Amino acid sequence: MVDSGSTDEALLAGMAVGDQAAAVVFVRRYQRRVFGLAYSMTSDASVSEEVAQEALIRVWRHAPVFDHRRGSVTSWVLTITRNLTIDALRMRRAVPTDPDDFAATAMMSLEHNPEDAVLRGDISDTVRSALSELPPEQRRAVVLAAVYGRTALEVSEQEAIPLGTAKTRIRTGLIRLRAAVERVRETEEER
Amino acid sequence: MIDDPHTHPCDEHSDNLAELALGILTGRERAATLVHVDSCTRCAEELEQLSRVADAVVTIAPGVEPPVGFEVRLFSRMGLAEAAPPVTSIASARRRPKGFRWLSASPRWTLAAAAVVIALVLGLSLGWSTGSGRGGTTPGGREVATAALLHAGTKVGRVSTYGGSNPWMTVTLTGSSTDGTVTCEVITSDGVTHKVGSFDAKGGYGAWGAHLWVAPQDVRKAEVVSSNGKVIATALLS
Repeated sequence: MVDSGSTDEALLAGMAVGDQAAAVVFVRRYQRRVFGLAYSMTSDASVSEEVAQEALIRVWRHAPVFDHRRGSVTSWVLTITRNLTIDALRMRRAVPTDPDDFAATAMMSLEHNPEDAVLRGDISDTVRSALSELPPEQRRAVVLAAVYGRTALEVSEQEAIPLGTAKTRIRTGLIRLRAAVERVRETEEER
Repeated sequence: MIDDPHTHPCDEHSDNLAELALGILTGRERAATLVHVDSCTRCAEELEQLSRVADAVVTIAPGVEPPVGFEVRLFSRMGLAEAAPPVTSIASARRRPKGFRWLSASPRWTLAAAAVVIALVLGLSLGWSTGSGRGGTTPGGREVATAALLHAGTKVGRVSTYGGSNPWMTVTLTGSSTDGTVTCEVITSDGVTHKVGSFDAKGGYGAWGAHLWVAPQDVRKAEVVSSNGKVIATALLS
C-alpha cells in the first residue's frame, strides 16, 4: 500500500497498474514543482496551470513507460513539464520569462520547502549554487539551452552574438556546472 | 589524406557533447557526434555526466503553490475525485474573521490564497469537483460548481462555489487587464443579484475567497464588476 512516505519510483509503479491512491500521493508531492517550473518559465499563472495539469496527466498516463535507468523521476516529470511549457509559449507566441529572471528566482530559492529539497536531491542544490557562480553571459546561455530548449543558433540570434560564441558559452557553462557537481561528489566520497 | 598527428579522434566531437547532452544539437553534427559516442567510451562517459547536469538545470526552479482549486480540477480531469481524500487540516490554518481578502500578484499569492481559503472555510475540506458546470453531490455532501470567467469569449479566470454547511466561493483573475478594486456579484436562479464582496486586482491578477451567503446550488452566474460598474468578466455556473 502506498502512502506519503513511498518513493517516487514506488508511486510510479503503482500508477502504472492503475493505483489511484498512488496517483493522488504523487500529484500532491509534485504539483508545486510542476507548477513552479511552468510559472518560472512563463510568469503566467493561467498558462502554468494548464501546463501543470497536462504534465501531471501525462505522467499518470505514461507511468508504465518510465525507465529509471534513463534518469530520475524528478527529471522525467520536470522535463515533460518543460517541453509542454515550451510548446505552450510557442503556440501563444508568448514572451517567456527572461533567463536572468529564471535564474535569479531559482538562486533566491535556497530557502526552500524542505520537501522540495528531498525531492530535488543534492545535485539540484549544487547546480543552483554553481549556476550563481557562472559569468552572467554563460548563465544566460545555459538557461536558454537547458530550460528553454534554444539551440546554439537561436541563442546566438537572441543574444546577438556569433554562433561560435554562443556554442562556447553553452559548452563552457555546462562543463563548469559538471565540475561543480563532481567536486561535491568527490567531497562526499571522501567523508 | 594524412591525419594530423596532433589531433585526437575525440577533438572533432567533444565540443558538441554539451549541446548533445542538452538536446539542442541538430542535423549532421548530431548524427556524427552520436556515431562517435557510440564507439568512444570516454566521450560516452562524458556525455552521461553532462546529461545528468543538463537534466538537473530544469529541476532548480522553485516550487510554487498552484492556484486555489488546482488539485480539485486536476483530480476531476484524471477521474480521481473519488480516490482523493480532501485536505482537511493544515497546521498553519487559523480561524480568520469572515470577509474578503485580496491576494497580491506575486508568485507568493498562491500560497496566500491557499491559506486564505483554508482559513475561510474554517477547517472544512476543499471539496470535490466534477469539472465545468454544475457539480454533483460529493462524498462530503457538498455541491460544487466550477466555471471559467470569460471576457469577450476569452478566459480570464475561474470561479468555484462550494457547498456544505458553510458555503464559500473562490474567484481567480489571471488574464484580465483589470487594476484596482472590483466587486464580485452572483445572480441566483430567481434573477436576484447578490453582492458577495470586493477585492483588489493588480495588473489583471488576483485571487480571493469568501463565504457565500446564498445557497451555491442557486447560483447561476457570477460577475466581476469594475469600480465604474462595468462587467469585466462573467462565469456561467449552470
